[in-house]
Amino acid sequence: MRGRYTDSDFYVAPLESPPSRRPPITSVGPLGWLRANLFSSKVNSMATLVMGALIGWFLWSFLSWSVRSAQWGVIYHNLRLVTSGLYDRQEIWRMELVAGILVLLSGLGLGVWGRLSRGVFIAVLVILLILVIVPVLAARVPEPTIYVLVEPQRAPPDFVFVGLKGQEVSFTFDPLTDTQDADERLLGFVETQARTEWSIRAAEVRAGDLDLGQYNLTVSLRLLDRQGRPLTSQAGSGVGDFAGNPAGGTLHYTLPADGWYVLEVRRDDSANGSVGDNAGYAWIRVHGVETFASQEAAAQARVEQFGEPPAVERALFADENSYRFEGARSVAEFFSLQVTPLFKRIVMPCFVGALLFFNGWVIGTLGKRERAVRRAVLGGWILSAPVILIILRGFEGSRTLPLVPTSVWGGLLLTILLTVVGIVASFPLGVALALGRRSELPAIKWTCTLFIETVRGVPLITILFMAKQIVPFFWSALSGLDLAIRMMIGVTLFSAAYLAENVRGGLQIIPYGQIEAARALGLNPALTTTLIVLPQALRAVIPAIVGQFISLFKDTSLVAVVGLFELVGIVDRIVSGQAIYRPYQREAYIVIAIIYFVISYAMSDVSRRLEQSGAGSIRRL
Amino acid sequence: MAETKASEPIISCRRVNKWFGNFHVLKDVDLEVMPQEVVVIIGPSGSGKSTFIRCINRLEEHQEGQIIVDGIELSHDVRNIAAIRSEIGMVFQQFNLFPHLTVLDNVALAPRYVRRQPRRVAEETALQLLERVGIPEQARKYPGQLSGGQQQRVAIARALAMQPKIMLFDEPTSALDPEMIKEVLDVMKQLAQSGMTMLVVTHEMGFAREVADRIVLFDEGRIVEMGTPEHFFTNPQHERTKLFLSQIL
Repeated sequence: MRGRYTDSDFYVAPLESPPSRRPPITSVGPLGWLRANLFSSKVNSMATLVMGALIGWFLWSFLSWSVRSAQWGVIYHNLRLVTSGLYDRQEIWRMELVAGILVLLSGLGLGVWGRLSRGVFIAVLVILLILVIVPVLAARVPEPTIYVLVEPQRAPPDFVFVGLKGQEVSFTFDPLTDTQDADERLLGFVETQARTEWSIRAAEVRAGDLDLGQYNLTVSLRLLDRQGRPLTSQAGSGVGDFAGNPAGGTLHYTLPADGWYVLEVRRDDSANGSVGDNAGYAWIRVHGVETFASQEAAAQARVEQFGEPPAVERALFADENSYRFEGARSVAEFFSLQVTPLFKRIVMPCFVGALLFFNGWVIGTLGKRERAVRRAVLGGWILSAPVILIILRGFEGSRTLPLVPTSVWGGLLLTILLTVVGIVASFPLGVALALGRRSELPAIKWTCTLFIETVRGVPLITILFMAKQIVPFFWSALSGLDLAIRMMIGVTLFSAAYLAENVRGGLQIIPYGQIEAARALGLNPALTTTLIVLPQALRAVIPAIVGQFISLFKDTSLVAVVGLFELVGIVDRIVSGQAIYRPYQREAYIVIAIIYFVISYAMSDVSRRLEQSGAGSIRRL
Repeated sequence: MAETKASEPIISCRRVNKWFGNFHVLKDVDLEVMPQEVVVIIGPSGSGKSTFIRCINRLEEHQEGQIIVDGIELSHDVRNIAAIRSEIGMVFQQFNLFPHLTVLDNVALAPRYVRRQPRRVAEETALQLLERVGIPEQARKYPGQLSGGQQQRVAIARALAMQPKIMLFDEPTSALDPEMIKEVLDVMKQLAQSGMTMLVVTHEMGFAREVADRIVLFDEGRIVEMGTPEHFFTNPQHERTKLFLSQIL
């Protein structure tokens, strides 16, 4: 290659180096990230698109269903049941007190031992703000239309509602004369009886045997006050009277006082001539009236304020379930009808909770350096367990804290109680079993192994049934024990056996040199175990232990089978026991799935943080 | 025999025998160590030298013979074992530091929980010891963040924290990179000069020649030859000793 270059072949860079330029837009920032991660190759791009479409489709159908037609009322009208089961209604303050104590202690604990990240702080503020703002904005969304159905062969019901002075309400009479129209609107109607009847009739209509337009439906509407005096309408026909013919029409009223009102609906069958009781379908659309969760709720909610509702035969109250159309809700109505009632219920507890937590955090942070404060917080946590149990259970014959038997504890309360007791009791038991299984004393070793293998070989549900039925039969002293406590024992023993195997896995990875070094330093076996072996072994198996705790948390749902109403049990009872909530099983189970997920996820998040903290992040055995 | 610095031996082993299963590891080992004496034990691997010093603080149990440490005979009595272990510090080939504790906690642990010293006292002592082994600035780190030489020096400080009368070293430099061996040997030399009674299993002949009062050669579970460094390196008697020295020097 020599001789290829001559002296005239050379390159010298210019004195000034060229200015640094920005990288191309497709290789940095969000665009660069997308290219590098989601669209790095043909296969990757295809996977991204297909999976994205799948997830998008799923999310879209779920969201659109949950916003437009799901009835979440099944949960938020039953919040008390969902959170505390059949716990005595007038003793609910005790649950609130307990929740307050726990929140305060959590705040103190975070202040003393932890750190409140700014992100979490801002998130809490934003949530509180949303809780306040949504109801305020939603108040401007007009009340949804209520549909009172006038059907053939049935006397139309009178419609009862409460109104405030100056409130404007209107009633529109709207006969369904067009078959197509009636089909769509009646089949979209939720009330099942009307829907069934219409589907029978619709067959006749389609066969040409019946013609909706032939019916000459005449209905009179009058708004009466509590005393039965008719009110004067500002529009429509007649004075406080409305006689609707197929053309339909609207009555407007401005209510003169707070109180109960009755919309009197009368069908004039004599005017219908020969068709008589075959007269057709019509809506009366009611605008501007407050809706309630249920007929009962509509009546109950206002009794204190306005007295008993007027006694009307076949009364209908403004009930949001009975009068709605499926699929007809707007996003605004989702917020005003579905979200606001929930928010109104939880906004006060959330604010009180946040305030308590924040106060606790401030005190904890300020007192962090004081030994007395640290000890008080630790003592508070330790004392909280018995105190909470005493508050929740009470005493027989006590006036301030009457006994609330554990058999009525339920909902989230029971789920959390079973979980916490299970975790707190099974952890030391599991560790002891694991150490016992590795013991050098055969008697202890064999007993522990026998226990672990027996329990692991039996389904949890069997253990729960045993705790319920068989154990008290063999050991009569236990028959007096509450079912809930027997379940706690069952869950604890089950969890301990699995935990023991997890911990044993951790014990096995500790090199023998660690134990020798501890012994050479003069540490006795107990100190060697607690100071050297367990801290390392447990840290190594944190994911497995927390996984076990998460499955313990989810497994508590099995106590529903033996007759305790924890979260799943109580929701099952709500949707199967109360007729009006029967159509809303989907909503109910989705909500409890979300509750389980949130708590489980929080637990595994804590485990991840634990793993990464302290010596765990740099340990090297 | 080396000149005695005190009248009574601090360790005295008489006809010690030990078996691993059917394998006869130690055969009639007799050894007396005087206070402040440094005894270096050498020998091929598998010759029982590690097993022997591990018998002295009862990490291994001997089956026949007698081991008396500081006037207490090693037996099954748990109180005796605890008393003896608190008199003897031990340094291992693999350091065996506690990876979940900081360097400071590693050193202060035993005084706090065995000697029941208040935390502050134990940590002050620990810091002084870390200074003595030359790594006070690493006190807050975890063992996994230190080099091998530094870890071994922490291990020495940890053993010294119990203020032992005797230190056992089980091949303390065998797991170290060559450039780290010196820093550990320096600490051990300084310790020997301060008058510590030491039993050292090692392959570092330079260290043995410089520091040892006596050198003991183990082979096939028995003591083959024992004497001063001068005797050992200039005038070995036993054929096995001559062979061993010719192989390593």
